[in-house]
Amino acid sequence: MRSPFAYSPRPWPLQTASPSAAVAYLGSFAAVAFAYSNPIVLIAAGLGLVVAGRLAGARAAVRAALWMGLTLALLIVLVNALVVSRGETVLLRLGDVPLLSDVVTAEALAAGAVIGLRAAVVTIAFAVYSACVDPDRVLRALRPLARRSALTATLVSRLVPVAAADASRLRDAARLRGPGAAPVGRAPLARRLLAGSLDRSVDVAATLELRGYSLSPTNPEPGATFSPPIRGTTRFTREGRARAGSPRLRSRYDRRFYAVGAAVLVAAIAGKLLGADAFSEYPALAVGLGLSTLTLSALLVLAGLAPRHG
Amino acid sequence: MAELSSPTRSTPALAVESLTYAYPESAAPALCEVSLELAAGELALLAGRSACGKSTLLRAACGLVPHFHGGEIDGRIAVAGIDALACGPGQLASAVGYLAQDPETQVVSTTVAAEIELPLEMRGDAAGARARAVEEVALALAIPHLLGRAVDTLSGGELQRVALAAALVTRPQLVLLDEPTSQLDPVAGDELVWLLRRLNEEWGVTILLAEHRLERCLAAADRVVAMESGRVAFDGAPREFLAWAQGADTALETPAARLFSLCGIEPLPVGVRDARQTLRRTGVAHPPHPAGRRVSDSGSADRILQAKALWVALDAGEGPRDVLHDVDLAVRRGERVALMGRNGAGKSTLLRTAASLVDPVRGGVDAPAGMALLTQNPSDYLVRERVGDELPGEAGLAALRVVGLEHALDADPRDLSGGERQRLALAIALAGRIDGGELPGLVALDEPTRGMDRARKDDLVGLIEDLANRGVGLLVATHDVEFAAAFAERVVLMGEGVVIADGPAAEILSGGWYFATEVSRVLDLPGVVTPKQGAAALKNPSADFAFSSAYRNERRSQREEGEGD
Repeated sequence: MRSPFAYSPRPWPLQTASPSAAVAYLGSFAAVAFAYSNPIVLIAAGLGLVVAGRLAGARAAVRAALWMGLTLALLIVLVNALVVSRGETVLLRLGDVPLLSDVVTAEALAAGAVIGLRAAVVTIAFAVYSACVDPDRVLRALRPLARRSALTATLVSRLVPVAAADASRLRDAARLRGPGAAPVGRAPLARRLLAGSLDRSVDVAATLELRGYSLSPTNPEPGATFSPPIRGTTRFTREGRARAGSPRLRSRYDRRFYAVGAAVLVAAIAGKLLGADAFSEYPALAVGLGLSTLTLSALLVLAGLAPRHG
Repeated sequence: MAELSSPTRSTPALAVESLTYAYPESAAPALCEVSLELAAGELALLAGRSACGKSTLLRAACGLVPHFHGGEIDGRIAVAGIDALACGPGQLASAVGYLAQDPETQVVSTTVAAEIELPLEMRGDAAGARARAVEEVALALAIPHLLGRAVDTLSGGELQRVALAAALVTRPQLVLLDEPTSQLDPVAGDELVWLLRRLNEEWGVTILLAEHRLERCLAAADRVVAMESGRVAFDGAPREFLAWAQGADTALETPAARLFSLCGIEPLPVGVRDARQTLRRTGVAHPPHPAGRRVSDSGSADRILQAKALWVALDAGEGPRDVLHDVDLAVRRGERVALMGRNGAGKSTLLRTAASLVDPVRGGVDAPAGMALLTQNPSDYLVRERVGDELPGEAGLAALRVVGLEHALDADPRDLSGGERQRLALAIALAGRIDGGELPGLVALDEPTRGMDRARKDDLVGLIEDLANRGVGLLVATHDVEFAAAFAERVVLMGEGVVIADGPAAEILSGGWYFATEVSRVLDLPGVVTPKQGAAALKNPSADFAFSSAYRNERRSQREEGEGD
């Protein structure tokens, strides 16, 4: 079973865009989530990401991220309500319980909801990124900057799905044991998975060796290359060069994603200056619903349409 | 850094001289005084039983031994003039491509295009040259439609082709393949072998192919190297190899060669075409078609598995997809059924649904008498360091007795042989389901012969027969047609999630192209699938055949002969 967050190559705008363009676009939503507390803006950012994810064909990732993000948000709301005693609107009196607040207030609930909403928005942004941005292209971009880190990331990005598949198989085998066999607890299963993962990582490392990962591409050892790469007078077109590592041509959507990402960031900064983030939890709940808030929210939802074809 | 000479036409693609190697902390050497030379453009088959040193030799030829695995090595090995003991696998990467048995661990990228391109990128090729090489190798292997796919969405056969493309993209002189067809269905396996032949003929690639199913690739080989206990026991032409195997190790004989041996026909055939030509030349009469026998249906009383209008949908990340479509299937007590079909046909899903690992979306499976399922990796069942800890108490001991492992209570499962580990895993699945000596109604095995040599397959046939004689119904998903002919009385052939044929093994495994044994392809007689049946048909054209039981008896007598020797 594939993870809903696994990258699925599709010839669609967000998937064909360069990693930097996709990161600029999706990162602008995450930046808004970190910078803003106004729940209207946060909901709009989340809505924009849901629209973007659906248009990019990442429905399963968005669905899973919504489930994860909202569960996390609910947990945060609960914890915040139980440990924070600030706020004027008392909903419930808990009495004297160690470590917990003596009251549950509407303001603490709202403050928790805002933090939870922020976490949910970031989760959705990451989910869409994970499902739509080719990790190989990201690693290739990173390789010249941090070769060892890129190698580690390559191994991890390959081993995580392999380990997930191994874990699934081991769980099945545990379920198929006869009732007379020793039951398999979590510890033996985890030990077995770890041992299997070590074997797997050795195999993957061997494959990397065979692919020549130990060679430095910028300074190959003299004579190490048996069949030298084609040099001579052959000219490769820009499209041909761009095609390397990807069956797709250069994306014509890069500019759109850069532009929309920049527009969201500029609007977010302007909105901050114009009071679009008007919101206070304590002592009494106050949510700003001014023109700047509504304009920024509308822009965020519209920005979600960027992965549309055309 | 070793002195590297420019390869010339006369430089051997692989030169091994007195190579002796032992893995770290291993008392016995895996390779002993191995000497071998492969000329450029040869296609050689590496034969031998499990653990005879085939994989180690391939790993030495690509530099993983000793550079990656460590250990002690002595002798000399050179690939296209490059000293493989002085240069590591990275430096050899442009001269040699290596394809291992399990394609899962041979891919390191997320997409197919990136995976194929990686060796070129590591070599420092320019972007345009990389794009051209990826395009060309994808066309050569007929996988351009896969370039944009994520590797974790590929089938085993597709993944194997992608790994082969990554091994070939640098245009190496030598390609090493370690049982590349073990996880492929007969169609994909045959296609891969002929693809290798084409690459060998058109690109001049030297190929060294280790394989257990010799009947699949012997006809494509120029030469066979047989190994025994880490040594080269035979090195010569395929026909000479068959003559050698006839006297030295009958487990290495192909079914067609066995058929000819039984009939005393010479020379032994290296493939189906060769066998037919010899039969025509020698004037052996083609017997009349015998009548097929129906599998008797003794009613519903002793059915131990009943699938009725079964629909199963699985979600691989892109929404649910129907994998089984309206499947009806019944298995009776004591029946031996082979479940066959190409990769992705739904065989494993059917077994998993029967074992309640997957819920049907419509219809259902009824297994009233209980069921034990052994999945494709027996090692998944082994999580403890002592056999007795896996199977404690009287129930555990009873299960061990059934599989003949009661003597191994104190052994570490990792010290058991591959066949014993498989038996232990089966005992774990059976434990507690044996009621007063009565076994569970159904035992299902999913691809139990992956990576097995024929001697181990014969042992497994023996175990299956034993279980069936004790009233257990056997449902075995397999790609191995020769194995199916050996154990099954009935074959259920699946395609695209539906049962497309269900009948006597001898009937289903004859008269087809892919899901047919080598003997049936040679003789083309309905109902004749094993060497002994074929020999009976050739010697006595009017004889009727007892289908699979004849082959089982033949195997049993072979085993007895072996023990006698």
